Amino acid sequence: MAELTQNEKRLLATLEKEKTADASRLAGLLDATTGATTQWAYLAQDKGFVTIERVVVKELVYTDEGKIYAKNGLPETQLLKVILPGTTLADLQKYEVFKIGFGQLRKKGLVKVEGTSVVKVPGASTAADEEALKNPSVADPGTKDLIRRGLLLESEAVRYTIGITPEGLALAKRGLDFRCEIGTLTHEQIVSGEWKGLNLRKYDITKLPKKAYPGKIHPYQRIISEMREILLEMGFEELYGGIVQQSFWNFDALFQPQDHPAREMQDTFYLKETLPLPKGYESVKAMHISGGDTSSTGWGGVWKEEKAEQCVLRTHTTSVSIQHLAKNPNPPIKAFCIGRVYRRETIDTTHLAEFEQLEGVVMDEGVTFGNLLGLLREFYHRMGFTGVRFKPSYYPYTEPSLDAEVYVEGLGWIEMGGAGVFREEVTAPLGINYPVLAWGLGVSRIAMLRLGLKDLRYLHRSDVAFLRETPALRHSKGGV
Amino acid sequence: MAVISLPYKYLERLTRTDRKTILDKIAFIGSDVERIEEDHADVEFFPDRPDLFSPEGVARAMRGYLGIETGLPTYTVKPSGISFTVDPQLADIRPVLGAAVIRGVEFDDESIQSIMSLQESLHWAVGRGRSKVAIGIHDLDTVSPPFRYIASPRNRAFIPLDYSEEMTMDEILGKHPKGRDYAKIVQDFPLFPLIVDSNDHVLSFPPIINGERTRVTIDTRNILLDTTGTDTRAVGVAVNIICTAMAEAGATIGSVDIAGVQTPTLAPVERTVSVSECSRLLGVELTASSMASLLQKMRFGAEPVGSEKVKVQVPCFRADIMHDWDLFEDVAIAYGYDRIQDLPPKTFTVGKPHPVQVNAALAREIFCGLGYIEVMPFTLTNEDVLYKKMQRPERPGVLRVMHPISIENTVVRTDLLPLLLEFLTLNRHRELPQRLFAVGDVVDSCLTYQQGAGVSIHRDADFSESYASADAVLHELSIDYEVEESADPAFIDGRRADILVAGKKAGVFGEIHPLVLNAFDLEQSVAAFEIDLRSVLGSAGMQDIS
Repeated sequence: MAELTQNEKRLLATLEKEKTADASRLAGLLDATTGATTQWAYLAQDKGFVTIERVVVKELVYTDEGKIYAKNGLPETQLLKVILPGTTLADLQKYEVFKIGFGQLRKKGLVKVEGTSVVKVPGASTAADEEALKNPSVADPGTKDLIRRGLLLESEAVRYTIGITPEGLALAKRGLDFRCEIGTLTHEQIVSGEWKGLNLRKYDITKLPKKAYPGKIHPYQRIISEMREILLEMGFEELYGGIVQQSFWNFDALFQPQDHPAREMQDTFYLKETLPLPKGYESVKAMHISGGDTSSTGWGGVWKEEKAEQCVLRTHTTSVSIQHLAKNPNPPIKAFCIGRVYRRETIDTTHLAEFEQLEGVVMDEGVTFGNLLGLLREFYHRMGFTGVRFKPSYYPYTEPSLDAEVYVEGLGWIEMGGAGVFREEVTAPLGINYPVLAWGLGVSRIAMLRLGLKDLRYLHRSDVAFLRETPALRHSKGGV
Repeated sequence: MAVISLPYKYLERLTRTDRKTILDKIAFIGSDVERIEEDHADVEFFPDRPDLFSPEGVARAMRGYLGIETGLPTYTVKPSGISFTVDPQLADIRPVLGAAVIRGVEFDDESIQSIMSLQESLHWAVGRGRSKVAIGIHDLDTVSPPFRYIASPRNRAFIPLDYSEEMTMDEILGKHPKGRDYAKIVQDFPLFPLIVDSNDHVLSFPPIINGERTRVTIDTRNILLDTTGTDTRAVGVAVNIICTAMAEAGATIGSVDIAGVQTPTLAPVERTVSVSECSRLLGVELTASSMASLLQKMRFGAEPVGSEKVKVQVPCFRADIMHDWDLFEDVAIAYGYDRIQDLPPKTFTVGKPHPVQVNAALAREIFCGLGYIEVMPFTLTNEDVLYKKMQRPERPGVLRVMHPISIENTVVRTDLLPLLLEFLTLNRHRELPQRLFAVGDVVDSCLTYQQGAGVSIHRDADFSESYASADAVLHELSIDYEVEESADPAFIDGRRADILVAGKKAGVFGEIHPLVLNAFDLEQSVAAFEIDLRSVLGSAGMQDIS
């Protein structure tokens, strides 16, 4: 049973004597407003100590004008009093109430105008109307007239009749603790020891007073961080690189032919900026044209420096990892990068022009396609996906290539990223002499599954309420 | 991606097995089954395998993969006696011509549809939207050889496909739907490519449209294939893929004489590959004979040469085999990805976080400690949000994308604060106070680096709050700073300060100017700050190209 507040106790003490009473009467006794008294009664009712009867009553109340007339008399009454034999219209016009009062007198036929004089008709009286104003009654035709004149208003009033229950009575009879209740303890009360004698207010623990919103990490950032930690645990070095990349590193170094559809204006964000090609770019050029010194035929055709110099918003983080490998050609290298990448796509619920990509590379002596499969299985297991399978796929810069699929309860097998061994056409011209295993996946895809989002844009244009409500620890099951 | 429609009856007849067996295994040769319908399946194949863009090509591959018929498919080509001349003036316009005669075809509505769809898929995957390769298919019996491939005046008129009246080639570019679609490939040339017969009848205006005269119908029995383009290899691949698909369907292929050369030959290309290199790449123990039989399953001709080499005959339709590893992938596919032993790499390595991300994580922690909630705004935005609403001048280093998708996404963000204010606008209806922060990449010129910014909106948000918060973040990140009167028009004069680190501006804080609040439709005051995280020791910005 919840604790009674000081005011509820006072109400019960009063009701112990009154038993049952109108809220307005109790308010008078408690020196409070009717509203507050009713509120206390409702709290006490929840605990079963009082009963409340709510009655709707029709009442007639005075308007501001009606109040004045109730005190001073109706305008016609006031005028009638001053009409004496010989009183002229001009005499009456001096009175403030003339306009209304004289109109009413004429309407009721209580006066006549004879020449310039105003004469009372015999027996002229407004007593009945005054009575209707003093003691209005809905049924009285005189009252109706006053309502029409805007002196009285019909209104509905709610009256509360509050009574004490047997339980309330018993509690009151046992005696109530009326010591003053203390909310917040003061410094003085704590140090002086005064707190010992204080009646500390007890709170209703079933009601949360006001929500507190902690500062927190975005749920999407948490997922990114989790993946980052998994890769760090698996012995990978983290890479960070620029959003703006030269076409050379974004495409050419990855053996993407210059006429490849993905390089067209409608798929990639180009910038007007250009950057000079890195030293030794000619070996990449030779690879494109003729396959360099490898068993490859190359793409044939022409390769233009201008196309490779042009800057783009990176279409994958592979542009970052390939530069890392080119700069660090000695094994072993295990590196990853999580960063935003850009595709010139029309934005809708499942496509964004920018999204996070995770990408990892392993370069080491003797690593195999089988090692790549093992690495992926381990990574997806750590992400929480127990079912993982692989199937052939195609990526321009890997051979062999594969797509990884993970099993999600209720959704079945879902494609969750691509992988492969970098083509020799990619590694050889950069002086990388060991096999490179590489894989990538869209991070937002996992975020969408885990957070149950229907619209990807929500990750970046989030509702603050969603951020406040999404708990920091979300238990995931089977990876989602 | 190319989605190919595979009618079951036709596919079953060609593959010589039932549809279930085929569909169960089709993904394992490299495809995605998109839809299973009553009478056909729609299957997506990858762009490197245009030889699979027809039911005939798929059946050929599946017969091999299922062990029904393995090894190199051979095709007989006999000279047709038909010849082409090529106008030297085409050298700078559209120099390459490929052609073939395909006899004894038996079309129905479905098979006409199938060859048209193969033609379109090849235009997309090999032809780069017809610019590199364009294919024309004609009823051979409506024209008379020899044929001439010429550079013609643009006012030459003929009746284009689907029309009943003559149009000049210039008119076709302006009026015919295909003319409008592909005009950009030829419109700048003084002369246009044209194929005519011995009576000067027009077969085709490549790469735009065929003539109505040679329309292929159900009654067509003999086909003339023309393939024009700018790249010899790509044109050859397109001819080979169409010819071998038609041969699979039962037609016979005849070669033509193009400027003295008989083509096509449909002959395989030879490659000798190393067994040990393949074993090392895949992590699978192979012998020359096991490798040869796996390759045969993928329709290569293959025979062991000693224990270390395999001599491979690459069929003419396999455009994707550029490198030995391309063959090794086929070995892996034939072996089965699910059978390859999957053990992670053994070498011991230690994980190492990047300092920029370490500091970013630290900054996030500090913001959270101050009660700020993280948001992750887009990096693409526009000048209106970034500068105009902020009352700020444009930064000289702002990067504009050349072909934005919409006016909303025209530039890469150079600051985070404007995006945070945009977030407050988005969340006006939510309970205050709201304290939001972002830590992330900004780009100035071609340089990417990280900034951190925070905004606080409520009745009492003021300069003091912005100062205290900025100071807390700077202090926690051990950044020694000084302050200086700021001139940033996004803030109220006298309630704004620049953060200086080692004498250089590294951030700003203050109370947002009411003009800015109005511009963002905000009705309460906002305390805001932004810090360049390069001022944290050890997290220099990343130069993109070094």
